[in-house]
Amino acid sequence: MNGIILQVTGLTAGYGSIKALKSIDFYAHEGEIVGIVGPNGAGKSTLLESIAGTVAASEGRIEFAGQRIERWSVLKRRQLGLMLIPQEENIFPLMSVKKNLEVSVILSERDKRESLIEYVYEIFPILYERRKQIANTLSGGQQRMLAVGIGIASNADVMLIDEPSIGLAPKLVTKFFETLNRIREDTKKTIVLSEQNIKVLNIADRLFGLEAGEMRFNEKKENLSREIVKDLYLGLLG
Amino acid sequence: MLINGFITGLIMGGILSLPVLGVAVIYGITGIPNFAIGVIGVFGGFVTWYFISSSIGLAIAVGIVVCFIIGFVIQRVLLTPISERGGDSTLFFILTVSVGFVFEGMLRAIFPRPNISLELPRIGTINLGGFTVEGFKIIALVFAIVTLVVIRLMEEHTEIGKSWQATSQNLKLAKLVGIKTTQVFSIASGIGCALACVGAIFWGSLYNLQLSSGWDLGFMGFIVAVVGGIGNIWGGLISALIMGMVMSFSGYLIGGEWQSVILYLIVIIVLIIAPKGILGSERSL
Repeated sequence: MNGIILQVTGLTAGYGSIKALKSIDFYAHEGEIVGIVGPNGAGKSTLLESIAGTVAASEGRIEFAGQRIERWSVLKRRQLGLMLIPQEENIFPLMSVKKNLEVSVILSERDKRESLIEYVYEIFPILYERRKQIANTLSGGQQRMLAVGIGIASNADVMLIDEPSIGLAPKLVTKFFETLNRIREDTKKTIVLSEQNIKVLNIADRLFGLEAGEMRFNEKKENLSREIVKDLYLGLLG
Repeated sequence: MLINGFITGLIMGGILSLPVLGVAVIYGITGIPNFAIGVIGVFGGFVTWYFISSSIGLAIAVGIVVCFIIGFVIQRVLLTPISERGGDSTLFFILTVSVGFVFEGMLRAIFPRPNISLELPRIGTINLGGFTVEGFKIIALVFAIVTLVVIRLMEEHTEIGKSWQATSQNLKLAKLVGIKTTQVFSIASGIGCALACVGAIFWGSLYNLQLSSGWDLGFMGFIVAVVGGIGNIWGGLISALIMGMVMSFSGYLIGGEWQSVILYLIVIIVLIIAPKGILGSERSL
């Protein structure tokens, strides 16, 4: 297994006096797909947003690419190679698909930008078809694809994705997860996604269980106990 | 008389459109209502007047650059940090009005004569529908239109312009993809104040500049921008032209004292019918 690229220690975060995360330890290996699973309100979004910097953590360490980043701005974390695809408001609504992608490759060198956008179109052909369409006129599923496309175009080493399958039709969900796996295979990037949909088991190398702000388990897929798998199927069925 | 009124309307609308554009650019990109830009622009106008005996071109350049820097610094040091911490419109109203008072106070302290006029060269006359108009008076409008077109072109075709658009449409995502949004905000504020300065220079050349001019230009500019759809630069231009016409014709028909009354009645009516302004806006106040 590759080395640890992202390490979170003792992370506490929340809104006011209600702590959404209570001293969480979390890590991800390079090139891994880690699924953060748990019911609504478990703190999954807060965990991802704290790592990305869009939410401030009150306590804890976040180490990424050899740096302590918990006090860093969102922009600086992104420049280091960490990016979040938020659950909502994850596109530039009034621009065309094409322009959404053009804006997102901004941190890459000029000669790489073309190929990054080409890759997004290859992964999501429908985005190519609709490249001149204004983003907020796309369907929900297409907007979700665009959001992931923006993530790919942004070319960060670690992609955090907040509940990518939420609200998608079941048939689309399987395909969507396959696509995420393909992206990992093609680009060797690390993907950390939060999910309530059990199909995340299809692609995750490891699952991190979160409930009421505390860690329940942190296991490679093949090491998950029967108890936990049963709970997952029963408790988290999206 | 109709033509005369129309031309006067164009002239007044043209001058008004510059601070209006300034407000629209700042609010459109940063979401912050800045009530100080009129005073800052007039401050720049006074700076230009101060240097005008040396060289006109240099004086204008200095005034504009000073205003750009003021706008840039105020945004960077004061407004952006507060906006990051979740400032609301009321707070920004109070903050920017206070900044305006600071600059008005500085004007009083620094410049001895509170009522000045800028001597700018006249460039000859143009023939419009049988009436001759001083070319100079139309320039403000031409300048506003050119600025607007340049901004839109930059937004469509340049990397910087696309970053502005992205920042105004989704600030959080803009940061996440690596756009330097703090810089975008500061530049937008600088440009807004520079535009207000150009407006003040034209105003000071055709009429005169006093201490109160900053508030006149600033507040009126703001209100006209809201009517056009604050944040919408085309809306701002159209609204400024309409208001210019309104001021001009009500001046001719009813008399100067009623100009303001008519103007602001129309503002109220428009906002009741269309609270987001004539052309609407990605944001409304």
